[in-house]
Amino acid sequence: MKPSRLLPLLPTLLLPLSTAPAAAPAVQVDDFPTSGRVEYVLECMQKHDGKYEYLYKCSCVVDRIAKTLRYDDYVAMSVALRNQSLAGERGGEFRDEASVRNMASKYKEIEAGANKACAVPQR
Amino acid sequence: MSFQSRLICLAGGLALVAGAAFAADSDTARLTKDPKNWAMQAGSMDNHRYSELKQINSKNAKNLTVAWTFSTGVLRGHEGGPLVIGDTMYLHSPFPNKVFAIALEDQSIRWKYEPKQDPTVIPVMCCDTVNRGLAYANGKIFLQQADTTLVALDAKTGNELWKVKVGDPKLGETTTNTPHVFKDKILTGISGGEFGVRGRITAHDINTGKVLWKAYSTGPDNELIVDPNKTMTWTDGKMAPIGANSSLKTWQGDQWKLGGGTTWGWYSYDPALNMVYYGTGNPSTWNPRQRPGDNKWSMTIFARDLDTGMAKWVYQMTPHDEWDYDGVNEMILADIKVKGQPRKALVHFDRNGFAYTMDRVSGELLVAEKYDPVVNWATHIDMKSGRPQVVAKYSTDKNGPDVNTKGVCPSALGTKDQQPASFSPKTGLFYVPTNHVCMDYEPFQIEYTAGQPYVGSTLSMYAAPNSHGGMGNFIAWDAGTGKMVWSKPERFSVWSGALSTAGDVVFYGTLEGYLKAVDLNGKELWKFKTPSGIIGNVTTWEYKGKQYVGVLSGIGGWAGIGLAAGLTKGTEGLGAVGGYKDLAKYTELGGVLTVFALPDR
Repeated sequence: MKPSRLLPLLPTLLLPLSTAPAAAPAVQVDDFPTSGRVEYVLECMQKHDGKYEYLYKCSCVVDRIAKTLRYDDYVAMSVALRNQSLAGERGGEFRDEASVRNMASKYKEIEAGANKACAVPQR
Repeated sequence: MSFQSRLICLAGGLALVAGAAFAADSDTARLTKDPKNWAMQAGSMDNHRYSELKQINSKNAKNLTVAWTFSTGVLRGHEGGPLVIGDTMYLHSPFPNKVFAIALEDQSIRWKYEPKQDPTVIPVMCCDTVNRGLAYANGKIFLQQADTTLVALDAKTGNELWKVKVGDPKLGETTTNTPHVFKDKILTGISGGEFGVRGRITAHDINTGKVLWKAYSTGPDNELIVDPNKTMTWTDGKMAPIGANSSLKTWQGDQWKLGGGTTWGWYSYDPALNMVYYGTGNPSTWNPRQRPGDNKWSMTIFARDLDTGMAKWVYQMTPHDEWDYDGVNEMILADIKVKGQPRKALVHFDRNGFAYTMDRVSGELLVAEKYDPVVNWATHIDMKSGRPQVVAKYSTDKNGPDVNTKGVCPSALGTKDQQPASFSPKTGLFYVPTNHVCMDYEPFQIEYTAGQPYVGSTLSMYAAPNSHGGMGNFIAWDAGTGKMVWSKPERFSVWSGALSTAGDVVFYGTLEGYLKAVDLNGKELWKFKTPSGIIGNVTTWEYKGKQYVGVLSGIGGWAGIGLAAGLTKGTEGLGAVGGYKDLAKYTELGGVLTVFALPDR
């Protein structure tokens, strides 16, 4: 029987989130895959009635976010925010746990800052 | 094979030809033996979730790319997975429970079925309006609707063949699990443990839907379909009869009538023994003070004869539940060595944090160990009595109503909820998606009103303290020894069903939406971010010489971009993407099935 092996995955992932203020980027990784940026832009455009100018404005936002967060962190944090309003017991997974709530509010702050800088109204 | 089974096999062939109203054996089991198909939700009747396909292997899994996607048009939690038989995929959706027959050739929709259901069923579904998938037998597709209607559709045309109602939503009864086809019968369960529903399973004739037998989880012996002298349970280190009134004796007065013990999980069947295995859910209410006694047979593993429903053996895992540790999780039938001895085993990863290995023939308790070390509500299972040794400070009953019992592990969602594990006959190990979450739980007094929640507690969940900080693990487990082989931490709970393959790859999905492939040591080989969190079951099949892996994304709540991409008709304003009118033939907004394959060379 092999001993259990815990991959040291999470501590490094969680670290930047607790130390990075919204204004000064903690990482300059810019590692978002193209599909990740496209997904972001499409959803953002859809929130703004599909207007063509938001292709550029939303790209500006996701490029800013990508300079601030590693892709894996962005995924986890945006999922945390997205599911704050998930109904019922399942929503507890995202609402009850303090570190997940913190991820959600940190991401909200970062996105709001990028929206402002790129002239995207909050929706 | 018994004489009776042989007779039915012969007669089955004749019946299909003559079209007689004779209960023919289903062709489902035969279809599951062809690894190109995925002919039932678990892949096969033993709940293995394993495939012999090996085109995708541990060396090339990193090259998997998207082959195609399909949107269901429903923005809710997507559990279960597709069926694939020959050149057609059959896919379901959450409420309103749409059914699609999709041509694998070009992903066009052969037919679509959408039942008319009263939306007032939605408020009596405790835990999102999920549906755990379709079943297939003899040219029929079976859908178990939320409103408890079981409908049989012609697999070629989608036309209704017959339908029966299994319960009454006005009493808080709904159905969410897949119907199970075993031999010549189709079995349905019931949901509503949070509404004081009286749990049972029902066996129907595949051709007509006619009820053949119905076995309750609580109440008098004749309704339980037990024999006080012959139905056995683990007692004092050996099997002994359950005796008369085994359920009634463990409830106060008429409480068993609102008893719960619902049956919304994954059942399995052993054709050699002709036995069906399933588990029952929580007793009602969540406030344990209101129902003193062991509350049998909630939280119980049942082994029943498929033809008569008679229970051969039972085993209650969590007597007098105080934490909502439903016992409905999948019953995996595996022939493995247990403590050195070959056994026809049944392995069950319970909500209560213990992984049980039973002898599925006799019902003997062989192994019961924690499959997450943080489990604390009980120190261990006493192997003689089979009873968990409850720790007083985590007992919500001892602490009483309106007192917050803190720090209980696992949370009410359990170390594992319905998300099914996978067994690989190749490695002999189990690959299990788990929750690593604890809770504070406060019961309160509640009165019963038909159709209203009968819960009586509030709770708050959090990541298991003093651990890696995440809320999930994906583990490999040895059920022969009751030991963890490896554990891969995850940031969020793992709520998807796992799949293992002969290509030495194990798949599971995460709540971030990643579909992940790991090798047999748990090392990550590949991951891909699908549009939304994954609570579906990973499935694999082969078409025209190519192996595919597919999984449903969609966790409920606000959906991600893939589910609302605007890439459909009526979005002329979305100038960037132009006209995509043809897409209407193929896709709708909603939860997404993403299908992967290796790229062509």
